Amino acid sequence: MAEPEILADLMARSALKDQRAFAELYRHTAAKLYGVALRILRRQDWAEEVLQESFVNIWNHLGEYSAARSAPLTWMTAIVRNRALDWVRRPNLERGGEDYDLLLEGTPDEGGGPEQALADSRDARALARCLEQLPASQRQCITLAYVNGLSHSELAQHLREPLGTVKTWIRRGLERLKSCLDGPTD
Amino acid sequence: MDLGSQQLRDALAAQYVLGTLQGRARRQFERQLERDPALRREVARWQERLAPLDEAAPSATPHARVWRSIARRIAPGTSSAGGLARLWDSAGFWRGAALASSVAALALAAYLAALLPVTQPRETMVVVMADDKSTPAMTVSWHTDGRGDRRLRVRVIGHQVMDPGTAWELWMLPGGDGKPVSLGLITTHETQAVEVPAHLLPAIDAAWGLAMSVEPSGGSPTGAPTGPVLYKGQCTRL
Repeated sequence: MAEPEILADLMARSALKDQRAFAELYRHTAAKLYGVALRILRRQDWAEEVLQESFVNIWNHLGEYSAARSAPLTWMTAIVRNRALDWVRRPNLERGGEDYDLLLEGTPDEGGGPEQALADSRDARALARCLEQLPASQRQCITLAYVNGLSHSELAQHLREPLGTVKTWIRRGLERLKSCLDGPTD
Repeated sequence: MDLGSQQLRDALAAQYVLGTLQGRARRQFERQLERDPALRREVARWQERLAPLDEAAPSATPHARVWRSIARRIAPGTSSAGGLARLWDSAGFWRGAALASSVAALALAAYLAALLPVTQPRETMVVVMADDKSTPAMTVSWHTDGRGDRRLRVRVIGHQVMDPGTAWELWMLPGGDGKPVSLGLITTHETQAVEVPAHLLPAIDAAWGLAMSVEPSGGSPTGAPTGPVLYKGQCTRL
């Protein structure tokens, strides 16, 4: 079985409260989801907390998962991302460091960014191609927001641009991304 | 929250998934999501569009204490619900019974879809119900949003025998923490129809699955399954 089918099968069994299947689901996905949480939270203790909350949440809501709507890992990732974003946006919480560039430029290629590290799937190639077609400012805003969980004001601060400019970049970037990914018929 | 135009809905869904929809607007959007299936689809599409960015996330092994905490929190008996719900969760009611293998179930679902009349473009829900050895034993299908058509089409596979003095009761499994809801009694006839009670009509289209239990003749005296679950299966939308 391909990976998404294994996950779908484990999710179906976990939805029937099969704890062994859920443990197996955790074994298959925890490292990836922990990585997603770490990119946003940048602290192990917070990422562990968010991962724990997310899996309890997943266990309680497996019955609502619809295979027709999204792939298993996409659904689980969305839960982890939401938890991490909620966590990091709590009032009076400071994330340490300003090393977004380091995280972004993990690959040695010119104009690097997560888009260059995208895996070799067809969807990934399409997204990489469409991100490349965006102006650099829009591409940077979108990847920093998604990958590192930066808010509008954090982006403005980090890029030293007015808040309104950053918001416009994001809005236009998302519109262009959508029409590029969905093709000319949409 | 008045979401107005399709363009605005799409823009909000995109910013929600990106994470830049924040604070009160984010909370409002989440409340809207709970009652707006079309908006949930928009969000799911944006999740799929941006998901490849997650593939680039470096994997890192979390400390073993994370799973230990999760396992403690999902252990049976820790649920806040009491009584029947707890019995349902913890009495081994579901355990040991595997789902039909997805490949077999899908093949059968596709076969059934071919048998259904195709004059209307409505969507069909199919449930392949299997025994604890994953052998399909019956199928149930219906048209979703079926205005006026409230029948579930039930097909019992092969010649099956019901023990004297017992009845077969069909249950809707709502998913999540929802308790099973009776859909009524069925027979061993190869083809039959079950009328869905009007108050269950929207709910059944969103059900997680169906189950069939053996009950005293006349049906469950408690309103919840009391006998063994012979067959169950997950809803598949075609």
